Amino acid sequence: MSFNVLIVDDSNTMRAVIKKVISISGFKMDQCIEAGNGKKALDVLTDNWVDVIISDINMPEMNGFELLKKLKEDDLLKNIPVILISTESSNERMQDAFDMGAKGFIKKPFTPEAVKKILYEVIGVSDEGEYEGDRGDDEAFDF
Amino acid sequence: MKENMKEIEETMRLSIFEVFEKMFYIFLEPQDDESNDYDMAAAIKFDGFLSGEIRLLLSMDMAKAMIQNMLGLEKDEITTQKMEDCSKEAVNMICGNFLGKFDSTKVFKLTIPSFSMETASIDPGKNACRMDFESDEGSVGVIFDANRRV
Repeated sequence: MSFNVLIVDDSNTMRAVIKKVISISGFKMDQCIEAGNGKKALDVLTDNWVDVIISDINMPEMNGFELLKKLKEDDLLKNIPVILISTESSNERMQDAFDMGAKGFIKKPFTPEAVKKILYEVIGVSDEGEYEGDRGDDEAFDF
Repeated sequence: MKENMKEIEETMRLSIFEVFEKMFYIFLEPQDDESNDYDMAAAIKFDGFLSGEIRLLLSMDMAKAMIQNMLGLEKDEITTQKMEDCSKEAVNMICGNFLGKFDSTKVFKLTIPSFSMETASIDPGKNACRMDFESDEGSVGVIFDANRRV
Protein backbone atom coordinates (compact mmCIF):
# COMPACT_ATOMS: atom_id res chain seq x y z
CA MET A 1 0.00 0.00 0.00
CA SER A 2 1.27 3.52 -0.74
CA PHE A 3 0.18 6.80 0.80
CA ASN A 4 -0.73 10.32 -0.26
CA VAL A 5 1.31 12.93 1.60
CA LEU A 6 0.60 16.67 1.96
CA ILE A 7 3.70 18.79 2.71
CA VAL A 8 3.00 22.26 4.11
CA ASP A 9 5.92 24.70 4.30
CA ASP A 10 6.42 28.29 3.14
CA SER A 11 9.87 27.46 1.75
CA ASN A 12 9.93 25.85 -1.72
CA THR A 13 13.36 24.48 -0.92
CA MET A 14 12.28 22.87 2.33
CA ARG A 15 9.24 21.29 0.65
CA ALA A 16 11.56 19.84 -2.00
CA VAL A 17 13.93 18.57 0.71
CA ILE A 18 11.16 16.89 2.71
CA LYS A 19 9.84 15.28 -0.49
CA LYS A 20 13.32 14.06 -1.39
CA VAL A 21 13.99 12.75 2.11
CA ILE A 22 10.68 10.81 2.12
CA SER A 23 11.62 9.25 -1.22
CA ILE A 24 15.12 8.34 -0.03
CA SER A 25 13.73 6.87 3.19
CA GLY A 26 11.91 4.12 1.30
CA PHE A 27 8.48 5.22 2.54
CA LYS A 28 5.86 4.19 -0.01
CA MET A 29 4.52 7.51 -1.25
CA ASP A 30 1.88 7.67 -3.96
CA GLN A 31 0.91 11.32 -4.47
CA CYS A 32 2.88 14.16 -2.91
CA ILE A 33 0.90 17.39 -2.71
CA GLU A 34 2.44 20.68 -1.57
CA ALA A 35 1.05 23.85 0.03
CA GLY A 36 2.81 27.09 1.05
CA ASN A 37 0.90 27.67 4.30
CA GLY A 38 -2.00 26.38 6.41
CA LYS A 39 -4.65 28.26 4.45
CA LYS A 40 -3.44 26.84 1.15
CA ALA A 41 -3.33 23.38 2.74
CA LEU A 42 -7.03 23.64 3.65
CA ASP A 43 -7.79 24.65 0.04
CA VAL A 44 -5.86 21.62 -1.22
CA LEU A 45 -7.82 19.35 1.13
CA THR A 46 -11.16 20.37 -0.37
CA ASP A 47 -10.22 18.52 -3.58
CA ASN A 48 -7.71 15.89 -2.47
CA TRP A 49 -7.60 13.07 0.03
CA VAL A 50 -4.33 12.60 1.88
CA ASP A 51 -3.20 9.94 4.35
CA VAL A 52 -0.82 12.14 6.31
CA ILE A 53 0.08 15.84 6.60
CA ILE A 54 3.62 17.03 7.34
CA SER A 55 3.51 20.70 8.30
CA ASP A 56 5.97 23.39 9.34
CA ILE A 57 4.96 25.52 12.35
CA ASN A 58 6.18 29.02 11.48
CA MET A 59 4.45 30.11 8.28
CA PRO A 60 2.83 33.36 7.16
CA GLU A 61 -0.98 33.66 6.84
CA MET A 62 -1.82 30.45 8.73
CA ASN A 63 0.79 28.64 10.84
CA GLY A 64 1.00 24.95 11.67
CA PHE A 65 -0.83 25.23 15.00
CA GLU A 66 -3.70 27.17 13.39
CA LEU A 67 -3.90 24.56 10.64
CA LEU A 68 -4.05 21.79 13.25
CA LYS A 69 -6.90 23.59 15.06
CA LYS A 70 -8.89 24.02 11.82
CA LEU A 71 -8.42 20.35 10.95
CA LYS A 72 -9.65 19.22 14.38
CA GLU A 73 -12.81 21.34 13.93
CA ASP A 74 -13.66 19.60 10.65
CA ASP A 75 -15.44 16.22 10.96
CA LEU A 76 -14.08 15.05 7.62
CA LEU A 77 -10.47 16.05 8.19
CA LYS A 78 -10.01 15.64 11.94
CA ASN A 79 -8.68 12.10 11.73
CA ILE A 80 -5.91 12.79 9.19
CA PRO A 81 -2.66 12.37 11.14
CA VAL A 82 -0.54 15.51 11.30
CA ILE A 83 3.23 15.56 11.84
CA LEU A 84 4.66 18.94 12.74
CA ILE A 85 8.17 19.72 11.58
CA SER A 86 10.10 22.59 13.05
CA THR A 87 13.43 24.01 14.17
CA GLU A 88 11.77 24.78 17.51
CA SER A 89 12.42 21.99 19.92
CA SER A 90 11.48 23.23 23.37
CA ASN A 91 9.67 20.62 25.47
CA GLU A 92 6.78 23.04 25.98
CA ARG A 93 6.36 23.67 22.25
CA MET A 94 6.39 19.94 21.51
CA GLN A 95 3.86 19.27 24.27
CA ASP A 96 1.62 22.05 22.86
CA ALA A 97 1.75 20.27 19.49
CA PHE A 98 0.71 16.91 20.96
CA ASP A 99 -1.98 18.52 23.16
CA MET A 100 -3.48 20.07 20.03
CA GLY A 101 -3.66 16.67 18.35
CA ALA A 102 -0.40 16.34 16.41
CA LYS A 103 0.62 12.69 16.04
CA GLY A 104 4.32 13.29 15.54
CA PHE A 105 7.04 15.91 15.74
CA ILE A 106 10.13 16.07 13.53
CA LYS A 107 12.94 18.32 14.63
CA LYS A 108 15.05 20.11 12.01
CA PRO A 109 17.78 19.22 11.11
CA PHE A 110 16.57 15.71 10.37
CA THR A 111 17.85 12.53 8.76
CA PRO A 112 15.86 10.41 6.26
CA GLU A 113 15.80 7.62 8.90
CA ALA A 114 14.19 9.90 11.49
CA VAL A 115 11.52 11.02 9.02
CA LYS A 116 10.79 7.43 7.98
CA LYS A 117 10.56 6.24 11.61
CA ILE A 118 8.03 8.91 12.57
CA LEU A 119 6.00 8.44 9.37
CA TYR A 120 5.86 4.68 9.98
CA GLU A 121 4.85 5.15 13.62
CA VAL A 122 2.15 7.69 12.80
CA ILE A 123 0.63 5.79 9.87
CA GLY A 124 0.93 2.39 11.53
CA VAL A 125 3.53 0.67 9.37
CA SER A 126 5.86 -1.89 10.93
CA ASP A 127 9.66 -1.70 10.57
CA GLU A 128 9.33 -4.29 7.79
CA GLY A 129 7.10 -1.91 5.87
CA GLU A 130 3.90 -3.85 6.60
CA TYR A 131 0.81 -1.65 6.99
CA GLU A 132 -1.31 -2.77 9.92
CA GLY A 133 -4.49 -1.91 7.99
CA ASP A 134 -3.50 -4.60 5.43
CA ARG A 135 -3.15 -7.27 8.10
CA GLY A 136 -6.23 -9.48 8.39
CA ASP A 137 -7.55 -10.79 11.68
CA ASP A 138 -5.91 -14.21 11.56
CA GLU A 139 -8.15 -15.63 14.28
CA ALA A 140 -11.26 -14.89 12.24
CA PHE A 141 -10.08 -17.41 9.63
CA ASP A 142 -8.72 -20.00 12.02
CA PHE A 143 -11.02 -22.96 11.51
CA MET B 1 21.14 26.52 31.71
CA LYS B 2 24.61 27.14 30.37
CA GLU B 3 26.20 30.01 32.28
CA ASN B 4 29.58 30.06 30.70
CA MET B 5 30.29 31.91 27.44
CA LYS B 6 32.74 29.23 26.33
CA GLU B 7 30.05 26.62 26.78
CA ILE B 8 27.63 28.77 24.81
CA GLU B 9 30.17 29.03 21.99
CA GLU B 10 30.71 25.29 22.06
CA THR B 11 26.95 24.68 21.93
CA MET B 12 26.70 27.04 18.95
CA ARG B 13 29.58 25.27 17.20
CA LEU B 14 27.92 21.88 17.71
CA SER B 15 24.64 23.23 16.38
CA ILE B 16 26.35 24.57 13.24
CA PHE B 17 28.17 21.26 12.63
CA GLU B 18 24.97 19.26 13.10
CA VAL B 19 22.97 21.37 10.64
CA PHE B 20 25.69 21.30 7.96
CA GLU B 21 26.34 17.59 8.33
CA LYS B 22 22.73 16.39 8.52
CA MET B 23 21.11 18.71 6.00
CA PHE B 24 23.91 19.60 3.59
CA TYR B 25 26.38 16.69 3.98
CA ILE B 26 29.18 19.24 4.48
CA PHE B 27 31.87 18.78 7.13
CA LEU B 28 33.25 22.08 8.41
CA GLU B 29 36.68 22.82 9.88
CA PRO B 30 36.96 25.73 12.34
CA GLN B 31 39.37 28.48 11.26
CA ASP B 32 41.43 30.60 13.63
CA ASP B 33 41.72 33.51 11.21
CA GLU B 34 38.72 35.63 10.32
CA SER B 35 37.78 35.48 6.65
CA ASN B 36 36.04 38.18 4.61
CA ASP B 37 35.48 35.89 1.67
CA TYR B 38 31.69 35.99 1.91
CA ASP B 39 29.10 36.81 -0.75
CA MET B 40 25.78 36.65 1.09
CA ALA B 41 24.26 36.74 4.55
CA ALA B 42 21.11 35.42 6.21
CA ALA B 43 20.01 36.56 9.65
CA ILE B 44 17.43 35.63 12.27
CA LYS B 45 16.47 37.27 15.56
CA PHE B 46 15.26 35.37 18.61
CA ASP B 47 13.58 36.55 21.76
CA GLY B 48 12.90 34.98 25.12
CA PHE B 49 14.95 34.22 28.20
CA LEU B 50 17.91 34.96 25.93
CA SER B 51 17.49 37.36 23.03
CA GLY B 52 19.72 38.29 20.13
CA GLU B 53 20.61 37.65 16.52
CA ILE B 54 22.46 35.02 14.49
CA ARG B 55 24.02 35.99 11.15
CA LEU B 56 25.15 33.31 8.72
CA LEU B 57 27.74 34.36 6.12
CA LEU B 58 28.35 32.19 3.06
CA SER B 59 30.70 32.24 0.11
CA MET B 60 29.06 31.72 -3.29
CA ASP B 61 30.70 28.29 -3.70
CA MET B 62 29.45 27.18 -0.31
CA ALA B 63 25.85 28.31 -1.00
CA LYS B 64 25.89 26.44 -4.32
CA ALA B 65 27.29 23.29 -2.71
CA MET B 66 24.63 23.41 0.02
CA ILE B 67 21.84 23.51 -2.57
CA GLN B 68 23.42 20.83 -4.73
CA ASN B 69 23.87 18.49 -1.78
CA MET B 70 20.49 19.17 -0.22
CA LEU B 71 18.37 18.95 -3.36
CA GLY B 72 20.57 16.89 -5.66
CA LEU B 73 20.53 19.63 -8.33
CA GLU B 74 23.03 20.33 -11.10
CA LYS B 75 25.02 23.60 -11.04
CA ASP B 76 22.99 25.16 -13.86
CA GLU B 77 19.75 24.55 -11.94
CA ILE B 78 20.83 26.80 -9.04
CA THR B 79 19.06 30.16 -8.87
CA THR B 80 19.44 33.18 -6.59
CA GLN B 81 16.01 32.38 -5.14
CA LYS B 82 17.18 28.89 -4.20
CA MET B 83 20.33 30.34 -2.57
CA GLU B 84 18.16 32.73 -0.57
CA ASP B 85 15.75 29.96 0.51
CA CYS B 86 18.60 27.67 1.44
CA SER B 87 20.53 30.32 3.43
CA LYS B 88 17.39 31.37 5.36
CA GLU B 89 16.55 27.76 6.14
CA ALA B 90 20.11 27.12 7.33
CA VAL B 91 20.17 30.08 9.72
CA ASN B 92 16.70 29.13 10.98
CA MET B 93 17.86 25.58 11.72
CA ILE B 94 21.10 26.74 13.38
CA CYS B 95 19.13 29.10 15.63
CA GLY B 96 16.44 26.54 16.58
CA ASN B 97 19.02 23.83 17.11
CA PHE B 98 21.18 26.09 19.28
CA LEU B 99 18.29 27.31 21.45
CA GLY B 100 17.03 23.74 21.94
CA LYS B 101 20.46 22.64 23.11
CA PHE B 102 20.94 25.81 25.17
CA ASP B 103 17.78 25.32 27.22
CA SER B 104 15.02 22.99 26.03
CA THR B 105 12.70 24.02 28.88
CA LYS B 106 12.34 27.59 27.52
CA VAL B 107 10.23 28.82 24.63
CA PHE B 108 11.80 31.35 22.25
CA LYS B 109 10.18 33.48 19.57
CA LEU B 110 12.02 33.42 16.24
CA THR B 111 11.58 35.99 13.47
CA ILE B 112 11.23 35.09 9.78
CA PRO B 113 14.86 35.04 8.50
CA SER B 114 16.14 37.86 6.27
CA PHE B 115 18.62 37.59 3.39
CA SER B 116 21.08 39.89 1.65
CA MET B 117 23.48 39.39 -1.27
CA GLU B 118 25.99 41.68 0.42
CA THR B 119 28.01 41.39 3.59
CA ALA B 120 29.18 45.01 3.90
CA SER B 121 28.22 45.33 7.56
CA ILE B 122 30.16 42.30 8.71
CA ASP B 123 31.27 44.03 11.92
CA PRO B 124 30.13 41.67 14.68
CA GLY B 125 29.78 44.32 17.39
CA LYS B 126 31.32 44.55 20.83
CA ASN B 127 29.60 41.67 22.59
CA ALA B 128 29.19 39.35 19.63
CA CYS B 129 30.99 36.12 19.06
CA ARG B 130 32.27 35.31 15.59
CA MET B 131 33.21 31.91 14.17
CA ASP B 132 34.72 31.11 10.79
CA PHE B 133 34.74 27.70 9.12
CA GLU B 134 36.10 26.18 5.94
CA SER B 135 35.50 23.05 3.94
CA ASP B 136 36.40 21.86 0.44
CA GLU B 137 33.16 23.48 -0.71
CA GLY B 138 33.82 27.04 0.55
CA SER B 139 33.60 29.33 3.59
CA VAL B 140 31.02 29.77 6.35
CA GLY B 141 30.94 32.46 9.02
CA VAL B 142 28.58 32.82 11.96
CA ILE B 143 28.13 35.94 14.07
CA PHE B 144 26.21 35.40 17.28
CA ASP B 145 25.05 38.32 19.38
CA ALA B 146 22.97 37.62 22.47
CA ASN B 147 21.85 39.27 25.67
CA ARG B 148 20.40 37.45 28.61
CA ARG B 149 17.16 38.76 30.09
CA VAL B 150 17.30 39.34 33.83
